[in-house]
Amino acid sequence: MGWILQGALALYAVGLLLSLVGFYRKRQLFITIALALVGCGFIAHTVFLTLLGFQRRHFPITSLPDSLCFLAWSLTLTFIAAYFRYKINALGAFVLPLVSALMVLSGTVWEENHAIPPLLQSRWIYFHTSVAFLAYAAFFLTFVSGVLYLIQENELKSKNFRFLYFRLPSLQVCDELLRFSLFAGFILMSLTIVTGAFWAQQAWGRFWSWDPKETASLMTWGIYLVLIHYRLSARWRGRRAAYISIVGFVSAVLTFSISLFKGLHTYL
Amino acid sequence: MTLNLALIGLNHKTAELDTRERASFHPEKLPEALRELVERPGIQETMIFSTCNRVELLSRVKNSAQGLESMEAFLREKSCIDGEQLREKLYRYSEQQAVRHVFRVASSLDSMILGEPQILGQVKSFYNVAVQAGTIGTYLNGLLQAAFHAAKRVRRETSIGEYSVSVSSAAVELARKIFGDLRGMSILIVGAGKMGKLAATHLRATGVRSVRVANRSPQAARELAAHFHGEAVPFEELTKWAARSEIVITSTGSYELLVDYARAQQIMQERKNTPIVFIDISVPRNVDPNVGTIDNVFYYDVDDLGAVVEANLQERRKEAALAEKIVEQEVDSFCARLHSLDMAPVVVELQTRIQEICQVELDRFFKKAGPRDPQERRELEVMISRIAGKIAHPLITQLRSTDHDPLQQAAYLDTLKRIFKLQKDSES
Repeated sequence: MGWILQGALALYAVGLLLSLVGFYRKRQLFITIALALVGCGFIAHTVFLTLLGFQRRHFPITSLPDSLCFLAWSLTLTFIAAYFRYKINALGAFVLPLVSALMVLSGTVWEENHAIPPLLQSRWIYFHTSVAFLAYAAFFLTFVSGVLYLIQENELKSKNFRFLYFRLPSLQVCDELLRFSLFAGFILMSLTIVTGAFWAQQAWGRFWSWDPKETASLMTWGIYLVLIHYRLSARWRGRRAAYISIVGFVSAVLTFSISLFKGLHTYL
Repeated sequence: MTLNLALIGLNHKTAELDTRERASFHPEKLPEALRELVERPGIQETMIFSTCNRVELLSRVKNSAQGLESMEAFLREKSCIDGEQLREKLYRYSEQQAVRHVFRVASSLDSMILGEPQILGQVKSFYNVAVQAGTIGTYLNGLLQAAFHAAKRVRRETSIGEYSVSVSSAAVELARKIFGDLRGMSILIVGAGKMGKLAATHLRATGVRSVRVANRSPQAARELAAHFHGEAVPFEELTKWAARSEIVITSTGSYELLVDYARAQQIMQERKNTPIVFIDISVPRNVDPNVGTIDNVFYYDVDDLGAVVEANLQERRKEAALAEKIVEQEVDSFCARLHSLDMAPVVVELQTRIQEICQVELDRFFKKAGPRDPQERRELEVMISRIAGKIAHPLITQLRSTDHDPLQQAAYLDTLKRIFKLQKDSES
């Protein structure tokens, strides 16, 4: 079964390479082929996760390597969706490196038959974990679109029409992707916190216990809430929204990784 | 093997407009000129290419020197340019160089504005004129088809023609980099300057929703608005209308600042901070350049548009390097196709094949008719071999007679190979 995952990684890697070449040389053809390969890789990845679930008779995300693998899957899913919605040719060159890196990392620390912590033997895991990872993936897109916005805005304002000016999408498209992924991520993150609370009630007898993971996620959620508030009140567009999206993402990374070190939520 | 191809010409690099004008051919007189040229010594097929930027004569010739000489004499007579002067400005290419030149011209690598897209259509139309005049045969036909193929590859595989290289279209490009799709955008044109009008024309063509015009003279505003199917707005309400537009083009003769920093801030407040672009084409400028430091305000003056054009040209030059490689590949493949036409193995095989057919029939006859005496047998064999030779002879003579025309020869060889089921490939 491992070969399916390796196949997916190989497809992602070639897709990444072609995306970079297409980005550098501005060729639609390379981007299209890259997307097709990533699409095939994603199908293989999905098949792998499904088979893994059947084999373990459990939701297949119960350890760090599992998590990394599933995070890569979520990122690819949001990447494909974003590409079809916004047709940003540069996107692959910025998202796929992380996808490939996560896959490699997951592969190197992979453990075949680890014991499933009893705490995770719950139906909540299906919903809570899925929405959480999709939220992280969405926020990554928010971050990427914010960075692309800032770079392109800098090119346009400094009137330096160079390498990236020709290759990055228009500010409008960056801003739309930022908005869409922000809202999607925020809804998913809210669901994550709510389902997490119910699960905690079931597992630990309390809805909220100020565990580091819970605290960090609340902070991340708050940052994005502030961003949404100011966006809707129509004051923070473009550059400021892009800066906040970067701050929000740093917080999201912290939220994801904090449980590696301490707290109740030690299995990620 | 020679390609028997020759080309002379002059273009924007070698000759000034005055000379090019005198050398050019009037479209109506072109067919006649072609028919005259094809009768000249050493010329077998020909086409003439004549635009404001270049005049070129391309021919299949018996030998290069004679063909070049004939074409030059022809051009000298037609253009009434002094012989010495013409010689200085002409470039002469033969064989592979001529192929490369034709390919480069068709791919817009030899154009005044690198990568401009019209040239391919022009080459095609002059090719059609020559076809109509009957001065093009299979050889030039094959060459031109290969040139069109090369040009299409260059279009498809490079982005040489993608970026705007005029100041007014650079304004559109910048607006696109900010707003993406321009449909649904509103433009405000302030003043009636020529450049502003030109930029607005380009923007209008992208399908913007509305064009508004403000001018000190309401009459002029109305006229310009009518030109763009837009709406004239009062000059005094500039701030209000600027706030309702995404793209503001100023192009007045005024010496005062129409939009200063404070006014731009006011505009942004009214716009609720949604992006706006000021394109200031007036000299002296009508918009304070510092407004560009305000969040979501983008400001470009004439020099900035010039910088876009320069960057785009640079981008085109980079793409041109790639295009040159494609052209080189295509030239090589065209010449290789011609060079691969080594006839010898085909001739041998053709003879063997016919001989074989006859031999099979002879063997069948001997088998059926029973034993024969050796004398009779020998005579029959000689006769059969003579028949085989007589069948092969005209085929081979015909093949040799196409020596001067490599493309026709290729077609002929191909036909022979297929009819007699000879080897697929004679390149070995």
